[in-house]
Parts: sequence; structure tokens; C-alpha cells
Amino acid sequence: MMTAKRANAIRESNARKAFRICNVIFLTLVCVIVVIPIWNVLITSLAADKDVMGGVYLLIPRSLTFKSYARVLNSGYMRGFWNSLFIAGVGTVLAMVITTPMGFALAQKQLVARNFFMKAISLTLVFDAGIIPLYVLIRMLGLIDNRWALILPFMLSTFNLIIVKNFMMSIPTSFVESAWLDGCNDLMALIRIVIPMAVPILSAVTLFYFVSFWNRYTEAVMFINNSSKYTLQVMLRALIYQSDGSLGEGNIVYDNTKMAVMVLGMLPVMLIYPFVQRYFVTGLMLGGVKE
Amino acid sequence: MKNSGQMAHVIHHPAGSLRRRLWKQRWLLLMVLPGILWFILFKYATYAGLALSFTNYGFRKTVSFVGLRNFERLFRSASFLNAFRNTLLISLYNIVFYFPFPILIALLINELRSLRARRTVQFLIYIPYFFSWVVVGTVFVNLLSPSSGIVNQILRSLGMESIYFMSDVRWFRKVLILSYIWKQMGYGAVIYVATLSTVDPQLYEAAEIDGCGRFRQVLYITLPTIKPTIITMLLLNLSHVLMIFDQVMVMYNASVYSVSDVLQTFSYREGILTGNLGFGMAVSLFVGIVSLLLVLGTNWISKHFLDDSIL
Repeated sequence: MMTAKRANAIRESNARKAFRICNVIFLTLVCVIVVIPIWNVLITSLAADKDVMGGVYLLIPRSLTFKSYARVLNSGYMRGFWNSLFIAGVGTVLAMVITTPMGFALAQKQLVARNFFMKAISLTLVFDAGIIPLYVLIRMLGLIDNRWALILPFMLSTFNLIIVKNFMMSIPTSFVESAWLDGCNDLMALIRIVIPMAVPILSAVTLFYFVSFWNRYTEAVMFINNSSKYTLQVMLRALIYQSDGSLGEGNIVYDNTKMAVMVLGMLPVMLIYPFVQRYFVTGLMLGGVKE
Repeated sequence: MKNSGQMAHVIHHPAGSLRRRLWKQRWLLLMVLPGILWFILFKYATYAGLALSFTNYGFRKTVSFVGLRNFERLFRSASFLNAFRNTLLISLYNIVFYFPFPILIALLINELRSLRARRTVQFLIYIPYFFSWVVVGTVFVNLLSPSSGIVNQILRSLGMESIYFMSDVRWFRKVLILSYIWKQMGYGAVIYVATLSTVDPQLYEAAEIDGCGRFRQVLYITLPTIKPTIITMLLLNLSHVLMIFDQVMVMYNASVYSVSDVLQTFSYREGILTGNLGFGMAVSLFVGIVSLLLVLGTNWISKHFLDDSIL
């Protein structure tokens, strides 16, 4: 009886060990599949022209030069970069200025017509009119070929709003009430008490907004026809799928230069991500995605 | 006299208190105001705009009501039916092949013992979520290139022929799904991992004492805990699965048109490039309604059936 139990325990732990090892191998493989293409982009962008000719998939760096970056810095792609940065920067600030107070107000149970507001807002989560009505609206507002066409329609996201609202609901009302007793109005209570407590969730939402502005592609193609106002993503798509000749002699753009533009297209987001990442788990858990 | 005075009081009281409440909440109302205006202009105005799908809006200066003519044309159009079929197929593949993936990854991350390993895996697999479809598309063009891509190099070293993944009608939809998994799995996985961390460890201990193996613990404790998250994620996924657009716009090309033209690219071409906005609106309205029904239907099913099942 005793020995049988022990044997069972040993067999169990062997199976367990095997599972653990397989698990580590599998997850390592997943990470490798994620990292390899990014690594390839990075080292290709840093390679010399001769090392990227004839089509190779670089995994081991053969040369290290910033020549491609120098080329990109002196090209028209920088204008796309600044256009995108303007849209993403201004858009994100406006988005947070609207989302944060609205999320806070909707979290207050005494708010007049709160149920109506919540229903009207939640509907937009499940029904989307699509792109043509938005295009017609932008045209009627006279915003075609205007950078604001890529800011205004996207400076609120129902999803982010609900995340912020849910987090604010988890803050005990006594905090806001004590601010009232100190003579604060709701706005001051939000700024002095609630925002400092909501830093994790607000950082995560800020990053989400920035990413959505920075990465937007289809609407940028639809709303902007003037090439001096193109965003970086639109220029990058054109560069990869048909080269326009502004980066190299004739029509040849080497892969290293293309990949340098790619790095430019991922740069701002990748610079912010590591700082915000530690908030992700806590922020998303507390905020949740559910109403 | 006394009676009518009381009546007046009763009638006037709510109005007075509403005004008082509004005044008391002036700051809160000021806070929701910009957002409400935004919802009216950029959401509800576009809903109202859908009414143009019953007109010939777009071609002429004068707009006239054409009834259901746009929809009649829509359902007779072979390219619409093809786009609808492609959208449904891609959505189905998405749900079947992508959707379970983040759950599986999250369960496996949860089994890792070292906290640092957990964090590292989550950090790494989340990265592609931040890339635009243009970047992801390029990554896959590089990866799958017939001449220089690493996948075809491996295939050739195994003595196989190169595959033109991006322009082969048999492969292109698979590329769409794989790139979708590559970009999105980390996002889903991190949300599930966050939910998993809320499980009370005592439950596992109790189960272990009762002789439950690891697998049954996952089945009876872990999965029921993340069930609400799974349903929420499924609903969110369904609400935009028919809206697939950016990815296809970036990655498709003329040679794979027949298998990858989706409803949104179809409406973009018909509505904006051709200029027949009323017809494009009809497509938009159709997609919106089908999406809505999909989400409400799933929600109804989960409410009525899943709640009493063990999942």
C-alpha cells in the first residue's frame, strides 16, 4: 500500500517534470518565433549594402553601419515621421484629456442620466457604421487632406473609456467624498485624488491611444491625398510594395534602407513600451474588459 | 385648497430637485460633455448617415431616394457575394485557429515556476501587438519571400520547391491567419494571465488534497475562473471579425484578389474609389447589421446555455 503510493507519486512527478520541460521548450519556441523577424529587421537595417544584396535573410550580423539611417534621415520619409508624430502626439493628449474626466464622471453612481449614457456608449461597442459613413462625414466637415481628419474621429475609444471607467469605479467613494469635505469640487477631486491613484491604468490607456494613432493606415490612405501630408505608415507601405526612387540611385532601394524606415515606423512605440509594460498586468486586470 | 397645494408641491418638487441635481453635478456634467459631443458627431451622426444607403448619393448633385435598389444590386453582385464568402471564411478560420491560442499560451505561462520567466515571455510576445499592419505585413513578406525568406530556405534545404506564399491563392488566407496570430496572441494571453492570477491558490491546494491531478485542476478550477473573460474576448473578437480591413488592405495584391477581397475592401473600392457612396453605404450597413446580430446572438447563447454548463 505504502510503496504503491510512493511509486505513484514518483511516476506523477516524472510526468510533471516531462511536462515542465516540454512547456519551457514550447514557450521558448514561441518567443523565438516572435523575436526572430524583429531581430532580422534590426540587423538588416544596420548591415552594409554589400551584405544585403542578392536576397539573404540575415540572422547573424555581418556588418554594423548606420549608413542606411543616415540615408533615411536625409530623405522625404522624415516628413512622414513628423506628420505621424504630430498626429499621434496631439491625438493622444486630446484623447486622454477627454477620456479621463469622462471615465471618472461615468463612474459616479449619482450622475444624472448615467444609465442612458452608458447604454448609448455601449451600443457603439457592438455596432459600427463602417468606413464609408465616416468618409462622407469627414468630407462634409471639409477635413479631407487635413491632418485633423486622423485625430478628431479617433480621439475617443469606447473600449479605453470603459477600461478607465471600470478602474475608477474600483476606487472607494470615500476618497472622493473626503476631497469634497476639504472643499474640492469634482474636477479638483479628480486631479488631486483620483488621477494619482489611476496612474497605472492611465499609462496603459495612453500607450493604447498612441499606438492606435501611430499605426493607423487605412483611414490615412482614404483621408489624405496630398503627399506632403502622408503619414509614415502610408509611405512605408508604398516603399515596401513599390519603391519610389527617392532613397537610392535609380529605382533600387536596398533592403537595409527599407528596414531602417521600418525601424523608424516602430521606434516611438518601442521606446515607450518598456516603461509602461510593468503596469499592463495590474492595469488590465483591475480595469477588466467587461462592463 | 390644501389638497391642490399639496399637488402643486408634488408636481414641482421633482423639477426643482432635478435642477438642483444638475447644478450640484455641474462639474461632472462638464466632464462628460466633450465626450458626449464626440459620440454624437463621430458615432451617431455616422449611424444617421447610413440612411444614405437608400439613395443614389455620390454621383449626382441631387440626391434622390432609390428605395432598396442598392441592396438589390448588392445581392446580385458576384463580387459582393465573393467578398462576403471570403469574409466569413477568414472570420471562421480566425475564431477556430486564433481564438484558442492565447488561452493555451496563458495556461502554459501560468505553469511556469519562475516569475521572471513568466514576465519575460509576456513582455516578448506582447511586442508584435504594437506593430502596425504595415510593419507586420513587411515582416511576413521578408519571412516568406520565395528568394530570400527563411521559410523557403528551409523548404529548399529539405528538397522542396519554393512556395509563393503571398501570391498563391491556396496559401494567402493561411498567411493572413498566421500573421494575425503572430500579431495578436500576446495581447490575448496577457489578459488571460492577468485573470488567472486572481484564482485563489487555496482552491488548488484543496483540489490536490482531494486527489485532483493537474489536468483536472485546470479543467475544474482554472477554466471556470476565466470563463467570463473568454466570453468577453469572444464577443469583442466577433464584433470586429467582419470588419477585417487594415490587414487585407496592406497585405493583399492582385494575384490573390479572389480569395482575399473582403466586405470592407469591397465597400472601399465601390464606395470611395468608384464614387458610388450610396452603394458603399449599403455594404457598410449590411456589415454593421450582420456584426451586430453575430454579437447579440453569441451573447444570448452564452447567457442561456453556457451559464449552467461546465464549459
